[in-house]
Amino acid sequence: MGVIHGEEMVLNIGPQHPSTHGVLRLKVKTDGEIISEITPVIGYLHRCFEKHCENMTYDQVIPYTDRCDYLAAMANNFGYVVAVEELMELKVPEKVEYIRVIMAELQRIASHLLALGVYGLDIGAFTPFLFMLRDRERILDMFEMTCGARLLYNYMWVGGVSHDLPKGFVETAFQFLDYFEPQIEEYNNLLTYNKIFIERTADIGVLPADVAISYGVSGPNLRASGVKWDLRKNDTYSIYDKFEFDVCTGDGGQGTLGDCWDRYYVRMLEVKESVKILRQALAQMPKDGDVHQALPKKIRPPKGSIYSRTETPRGDLGFYIESDGSPIPTRVKMRSPAFTALSVLGELAGGWMMSDVISILGSLDIVLGEIDR
Amino acid sequence: MSADQEKLITELVGKGLAGDMDPINAIEDRVLRSKAKAALAKAKRAAKTATTATPTEEKPATETIAETPPSDNPNKKFGKMIEDTFQGSLDAELNDTHIQLKPDNWFEIAKWLKSEPSLYFDSLQCHTGMDVGENMLEARYNLHSMTHDHKIEIRIAVSRDKANIPSIEQIWRIGDWFERETYDMFGIFFDGHRDHRRMLLPEDWEGYPLRKDYEVQETYHGIAIPKVKVGWE
Amino acid sequence: MGMLENRFQDNVVVAKLDKLIGWARSTSPWYFQFGLACCAIEMMAAAASRHDLERLGMMPRSSPRQADVMIVAGTVTMKMSLRVKKLYEQMADPKYVIAMGSCATSGGPYWQHGYHVLKGVDIVVPVDVYVPGCPPRPEALIEGLLKLQEKILDERPLTRKMA
Repeated sequence: MGVIHGEEMVLNIGPQHPSTHGVLRLKVKTDGEIISEITPVIGYLHRCFEKHCENMTYDQVIPYTDRCDYLAAMANNFGYVVAVEELMELKVPEKVEYIRVIMAELQRIASHLLALGVYGLDIGAFTPFLFMLRDRERILDMFEMTCGARLLYNYMWVGGVSHDLPKGFVETAFQFLDYFEPQIEEYNNLLTYNKIFIERTADIGVLPADVAISYGVSGPNLRASGVKWDLRKNDTYSIYDKFEFDVCTGDGGQGTLGDCWDRYYVRMLEVKESVKILRQALAQMPKDGDVHQALPKKIRPPKGSIYSRTETPRGDLGFYIESDGSPIPTRVKMRSPAFTALSVLGELAGGWMMSDVISILGSLDIVLGEIDR
Repeated sequence: MSADQEKLITELVGKGLAGDMDPINAIEDRVLRSKAKAALAKAKRAAKTATTATPTEEKPATETIAETPPSDNPNKKFGKMIEDTFQGSLDAELNDTHIQLKPDNWFEIAKWLKSEPSLYFDSLQCHTGMDVGENMLEARYNLHSMTHDHKIEIRIAVSRDKANIPSIEQIWRIGDWFERETYDMFGIFFDGHRDHRRMLLPEDWEGYPLRKDYEVQETYHGIAIPKVKVGWE
Repeated sequence: MGMLENRFQDNVVVAKLDKLIGWARSTSPWYFQFGLACCAIEMMAAAASRHDLERLGMMPRSSPRQADVMIVAGTVTMKMSLRVKKLYEQMADPKYVIAMGSCATSGGPYWQHGYHVLKGVDIVVPVDVYVPGCPPRPEALIEGLLKLQEKILDERPLTRKMA
């Protein structure tokens, strides 16, 4: 029996494809089913965010930051506002800090639910997607109760937030948390320890820690490779030092350390930690206080530049802002975590089969709006 | 003003400089009181400049005697280490916010920054370009060390006509995509980059958008790009 | 028509063939999920459990050859506009387009300084229904789809061919 010699084929996935999480194009060189090289091509959603920042005032930029990572809009707002306040050396009241942390952690749960549900959908499991979106809708109801919007909020302003928490928010939040904690067990039964899911994701796409650091990977992707690095603990901002929570890392539970299952499991553990932080924050929050008292009349940071990072559900989001004393920034650069996560795909996917590539791409949890800005 | 009044004012100013404001405040006549207060303010200003003038005269003398204490600020500390190891690579004075380097030896310096055990800058956090005016473009690197947890910012300025900087994508692998994006937006060329092409805009786009003097092109593949209409804001 | 009425039993309906075809087409438009940006998430939420799109007869299809309606959800950039045109041409007749969100309608918040943004998808494809909002709520998208259903119902496919 001889060996059949095949030719290498260049296959094009996307930019329109149901599982590319947005408009991403992958140029794949394959030999049959096995992939030899993969090149991501991006730029199909480049909406000139940085050019807009150079022509708008500091508070007019906030809705544009929403639309970059549209799955975790509160986290983007938070990152930008923390950077501008550090540049201006502005201190916000304590109630505002608590509200910001509560919103950011609720957003983290919502974003992880969507990421995990869509990952199941890519693999082929439709039911967890519907269940997770149903619970995400309850969180969006809480956001709508506060600021009127479901997806893109423009909520966190420089020096405060746009609306105070309405009456009944704390009770609704506690009711949601009491309902939600047993649901995590249901998701674990459905998907996490499902034999088919483990076959599709364990031991696939292993990311070693030093490669991850060199590629700038951060957030759950880095923690799944065993590196204990969380900006909420290592480089604290806002009032995260007042809460007790653990930094979850992967441990190769069902396969090798740093595989796709680990990246999925770290996100599931982070949802549990967010519930812990929320319970503490809702209990400790001061009941009265004016959320608008520290809003500056005119936002004019002093001349200088700053680079500040915060932890979003996708990793660490960095804002490099340069100001020359006028109300309009000279340069705002958004360093997005999904950009670095996608850059490592070329390293991870060599040698695997086509369906594994979809599995690896889903586990990295990318959002094209943030990559292309 | 009469001579008596002048003498009175000088006396009151003397008392005021010593800290005793009661005699001045006790003057009945409003005009005289305000003159006295004005004279006191002028005397205080003159006294302040006299005291600040003297230390600067003394400083050079003391500096030559004692060594300048080492700075705690990471940019100054590591900037000094870079200058000691690679002579002539600094492009400006050491300061608190950043280290300004010349582009010539950048690849060697970057390799040393990553491998030197006391520094060990293993992650390139952010890379951005900047149009600083006066026909200069700048590339800025924010480096961070996961092991030692310190960070610095490095800036390299080049002129618009000859915007070439050595590429560091082999040292920090994320530099590959970061440098392609900076080339796309600003037009800075990175020598030694193995895959030097545009990242976000299409391959056949003209111009570098984030430069301050960018004019958007008229059409792209037959689709007209509308200019910003006057009076729409 | 007068002599046919009331001559048969109750379960026989007499109507124009146009109406029958319109009714069949409008109550099962299969949409081509062309989600580009933030509006795609609201489109997914509209198809999920709370606001169910499938009860209206809409099924998501990933290939343009199998779809009737193309919902352009999100910002169309210059780089993507050529592909939008190609995908529209790959769809089989009769085909309809819904522009969802303000970015697809007219460029959205990026109208002023967006050098790479296409100011409205109707520059490259003909649009039937515009759904405004940034992003539009799932209920707004459902209203847009119902309006599209009315439009399809009122079409006269046979009359057009004979004319």
